[in-house]
Amino acid sequence: MIKLKVNGKEIEADNGLTVLETLKKEGINVPTMCFLDNEEHFPTCMICIVKDQKTGRLIPSCSTHISTGMDIISNDEEIIEARKTALELLLSDHIGECDAPCQTNCPAFMDIPLMNRLLANGQFDEALRVVKKDIALPAVLGRICPAPCERACRRRNIDEPVSICTLKRYAADHDLEHASSFIPDIARLNGKKIGIIGSGPAGLSAAYFLLQKGYQCTLHDKNPLPGGALRYAIPDDRLPKEVLDQEIDIIKQMGAKFLMNFELPVDGLENLRKEYDGVIVATGEENADFDELVKKNKSFVTEKNTYQTNVDGVFAIGSAIKPGRVAIRAVAHGKEAAFAMDQFLNGNPVTGEAQLFNSRIGRMLEEEYDDFMLEADPGPRIETTEFEGFTMEQVQKEAARCMHCDCRKKFDCKLRDYSGEYDASQKRFFPRERPPIRKIFKHEPLVYEPEKCIKCSICVRITARHKEELGLTYIGKGFDVEISAPFNDYQKNALENTAILCAEKCPTSALAIKKHDEV
Amino acid sequence: MEGDRYTAIDAILKEKEGVQKDVIPILQAIQNQYHYLPEDILKRVCNQTQITPAMLMGVSSFYSQFRLKPTGEHIIKVCTGTACHVKRAELVYDTFGRALHLEPNQDTDPKGNYTLEKVNCLGCCTLAPVVQIDEITYGHVEVESVKRVLTSFENLNGQPKTKENANNINGNKNDGEIRIGLGSCCIASGSEEVKNSVELAVKENALDVQMKRVGCVGMCHQVPLLEIIPKGKEPTLYSKVQPGDVNKIINQHFKPQGIWHRLKSSIFNMVEDIQTDRNWEGIEQFELNYREKQVSSFLGTQVPIATEHRGAIDPLDIDEYKQGFGFFALKKCLNELSPDQVIDKIEESGLRGRGGAGFPTGAKWQTFKIQQSEIKYIICNGDEGDPGAFMDRMLLESYPYRIIEGMIIAAHATGASKGYFYIRAEYPLAVKRISEALKICKEHGYLGKNILDSGLAFDIEIFQGAGAFICGEETALIASIEGNRGFPKLRPPYPVQQGLWECPTLVNNTETFATIPFILRNDVANYTKYGTENSKGTKVFALAGKINRGGLIEVPMGITIREIIEDIGGGVAEGRKFKAVQIGGPSGGCIPESLINTPIDFNSLKEVGAMMGSGGLVVLDDTDCMVDIARYFLSFTQSESCGKCTFCRVGTMRMLDILNNITAGKGTSKDLDELEKLAKWTKKGSLCGLGQTAPNPVLSTLTYFRHEYEAHINGTCPTGKCQNLIKYSIDDTCIGCTKCAQNCPVDAIAFTPYEIHVIDQDKCIKCDGCRQVCPEDSVHVR
Repeated sequence: MIKLKVNGKEIEADNGLTVLETLKKEGINVPTMCFLDNEEHFPTCMICIVKDQKTGRLIPSCSTHISTGMDIISNDEEIIEARKTALELLLSDHIGECDAPCQTNCPAFMDIPLMNRLLANGQFDEALRVVKKDIALPAVLGRICPAPCERACRRRNIDEPVSICTLKRYAADHDLEHASSFIPDIARLNGKKIGIIGSGPAGLSAAYFLLQKGYQCTLHDKNPLPGGALRYAIPDDRLPKEVLDQEIDIIKQMGAKFLMNFELPVDGLENLRKEYDGVIVATGEENADFDELVKKNKSFVTEKNTYQTNVDGVFAIGSAIKPGRVAIRAVAHGKEAAFAMDQFLNGNPVTGEAQLFNSRIGRMLEEEYDDFMLEADPGPRIETTEFEGFTMEQVQKEAARCMHCDCRKKFDCKLRDYSGEYDASQKRFFPRERPPIRKIFKHEPLVYEPEKCIKCSICVRITARHKEELGLTYIGKGFDVEISAPFNDYQKNALENTAILCAEKCPTSALAIKKHDEV
Repeated sequence: MEGDRYTAIDAILKEKEGVQKDVIPILQAIQNQYHYLPEDILKRVCNQTQITPAMLMGVSSFYSQFRLKPTGEHIIKVCTGTACHVKRAELVYDTFGRALHLEPNQDTDPKGNYTLEKVNCLGCCTLAPVVQIDEITYGHVEVESVKRVLTSFENLNGQPKTKENANNINGNKNDGEIRIGLGSCCIASGSEEVKNSVELAVKENALDVQMKRVGCVGMCHQVPLLEIIPKGKEPTLYSKVQPGDVNKIINQHFKPQGIWHRLKSSIFNMVEDIQTDRNWEGIEQFELNYREKQVSSFLGTQVPIATEHRGAIDPLDIDEYKQGFGFFALKKCLNELSPDQVIDKIEESGLRGRGGAGFPTGAKWQTFKIQQSEIKYIICNGDEGDPGAFMDRMLLESYPYRIIEGMIIAAHATGASKGYFYIRAEYPLAVKRISEALKICKEHGYLGKNILDSGLAFDIEIFQGAGAFICGEETALIASIEGNRGFPKLRPPYPVQQGLWECPTLVNNTETFATIPFILRNDVANYTKYGTENSKGTKVFALAGKINRGGLIEVPMGITIREIIEDIGGGVAEGRKFKAVQIGGPSGGCIPESLINTPIDFNSLKEVGAMMGSGGLVVLDDTDCMVDIARYFLSFTQSESCGKCTFCRVGTMRMLDILNNITAGKGTSKDLDELEKLAKWTKKGSLCGLGQTAPNPVLSTLTYFRHEYEAHINGTCPTGKCQNLIKYSIDDTCIGCTKCAQNCPVDAIAFTPYEIHVIDQDKCIKCDGCRQVCPEDSVHVR
């Protein structure tokens, strides 16, 4: 047994244990990336750094063995800064994107690449579910959305962007054609009531998400029919009323109540506020009601990310707070306000939905066009008329034009998680000129993206231990060191038995399974 | 056909076991045979042995010695060590590239005649800038002399190589002795040709003298050196000797035998006088003498311990070594001193490891001694990777027996049975000398199963390092002997506990071993009388850069920087102003003029932000840009990082990014803060000494020369070194001689005889060629 101190506490631990193992036994979690149980310790990432107070030195806990008299501090300001700096250095050499630019440019943050892959694969119902995770009215938006996603689509650099909007419309229309359309899961009623003023895209969206969380929602609108500007400001030839009605009907089926021909009370919100546990103001742009409200409730201020106002329990969204009449933005507000309202009513801090860390690459480089196109249908963008939409064949072909810019492990990446946790900035050390991204498809069933590799060497150790005939190795030294199969022509059989294992253990998505979302 | 293709490789493999430890020797043998590592041959190795493709490629891509691509017929190596760098070796490299019409990213000319490459350090720092073409080394190569070097090489190359003179000089010494320096510097400066001339002259004159090759005298700035010791007369030392001078020098001191020879000699010399148009006075300028003031100050304040008998003994003559008390200490240890007593004496001497960090040698030996293991190894670390350092090379080449003696004593004291010399393959002469010395030692019973009948069994073999700076770090060095990439390991366990093949292993620096015999041979007080409180004895330094007299020096610890530069080095070259001295190479720092009175020892250097390192001293003058120096070292450490840990691999690169921005005039004052922060984290977070010390050159220049960084941020390089911040122009003192226009490689200067020449700024590549050829100093940089 060895006597040492951990965070000031005297402890005893077995001889031969590493600092990491000892801390784990004490219930202290230390972040790790290059560490892999059962594999040889080979400290590279330095994220598991802790401090030995006795020497003042920072040590990698995964590979340092405990010794008598150590005085380990597992977490303090210096350690946090060291880990953060290590992450920032790694991020400066991690060239890849977590989320595709189309998704980050979508106000509702819809998982567009995943929808595309499902559509390309003919999985239309699954695609619709992906859409409806973030967008309440996809058939409507599929017709009127200005499609900021397409402006960000990287395919634009090569020819023309993917027709994301029309693809989404296909998924939605296809669903509406079913005898019973998709209705998301709804939690048991939680007994709380939400009053929503305005039944335009923002209000409908808020209701759609709050209903899923078990709230009873009542939409109030001065007009005889719900839909707000969608119904009263957009001509029929752009947005047929039956499409709007169908999607509102789904929200009705989910349990929403509508109070039409509703007049805003003279006392403003006071009575409404008493009637409901929470109120969402979604009165739209050309609506005097909101101005009135503002007048009646002096200095009505809205928080940026949460839509919470300075009136307790009242949230404001949509064109009411930010003019412009962008339906997708209104829909996005509805989704985000629903999240914040839920936090509020559960007595949690109202922060809004946390944004995950997102690695960015900036502009695409010409040298990387070819590699991006490796997974995409090379055909031209398929055009269609506003009335028609795509045929099934067209959908599959158009969706296949997507280049899979998003990361295959965006939900399962240690680098991403820790970068978020430690608030690391990728910009801090990012080079002025970045190297071009390569996508290598030689290792069936994997894709290898060397520019994402953080040189943790887990795959090198796995292939060596499993006695792969070729395996992987470090090539070169210094900053330019790379992990690769020896002799280029042998790459395809470098990972005979360990391909899946290597991809699973890779702490980023440098090595990833090609068909990761099993489409 | 296949059989033919593989005959050579199969023969190589036959001599090896074909296991991991053979990886580097096999790769070296392949490269010797094929001049690069052909892929089919490497695959053959994997088929025929237990070596896996991953091992083979991991290792071959790690070490700079190995090439995976075929090369041209000849290889031009431009040294970019520190001393060469400050003498603008990069411009020389660029000029070679243009002379060979190489496209960017191309290293071999279209005809396949030449491959051009940069090398870290050839260890001939006093001859900077140095270029090596195949086996021939050219010193003081300037931009404008590149074409001449190529022409000279081509002329030489067309001729058959000079055969060894069969009628070698016998050793009767009836008339006296002629000593010729044959260290690497000497050879690089042409001493081999001088030797041939001497042999010819002696033969022509039928002299009865002994010609003797001697190791490095340390006066590398004066090479080639020739010393004449006529029997019973004062010795005379000639410096910078040319082959054509030899006859006259010899005739001055020795009378030819017999009338016929004398007659022939005088006729011959007369003819030669006419041919070379040189008279006797012409040679005198080369004459030096020990009593002459300059030289006596170069040698006088030095204390030769590791370099004892410098320039006086033939490196490989074991009898001579013995005459100078060689193996005296070993015999004393074997006969009179118990292992513990030996270690006590080493501890008493206060000797600290000469590799750089200065760990007490006695304590290291003691820890090593108490390890219980059947096999224990001793390794002499001669992997001198610092650009700008050549101490190990000189010691290995000149004093092989002394180092071997030190190792045998260590074996006696600690119970080790097997030793290794780890020597860079870039030091072929050192490898050759040591391997001959080991053979001779075995023949004389100094190595083997029963050394000098004492019962001590100890043997040594050589491992040639394949070129990786990190392998100077002991755990990386061990990894490399084991046949791995030179990845350092986390310590503890220390190598003395668990090292080579998991056995206890003592790694000491070459100079440390070379010091051991002196300490034990004499009273320890003879050693401890030199040095300071915390750093006893002497230290060998490689003095180079902007200094009048560079070379290998051995001085007592505690000597001030001023004494080294002014007394020994004869001051800054070309009468320029001293600016700083870079100590300790990539791990060290720059000490400014204000600290010139700092006494040098392990601790004082650390206090001023430098480090002993292995002992490179590069003197910088007022034309050297300190930001450029920092950038230079960072680019070195960045490329030599093993690539394992984040802080070193990426941290050094990002520091280099910032420095590149600053020297390109794109820096901001925020960059300086970030640079300092990142330097701090790289020091703190790196796993081994390389990363932990890599920021030192940046931090020390930021401390002492921050104003230069600020000047770059404001858009000027005060010394005119940073290409992106400077412009060349010609003033009206131009006489229109057209030399610059003729010399300009990119036609940026129009050929306008008798008119003031003008530089087209858009075309100018800032190669400095025009400034170097201008006879009127009319070309200016600002």
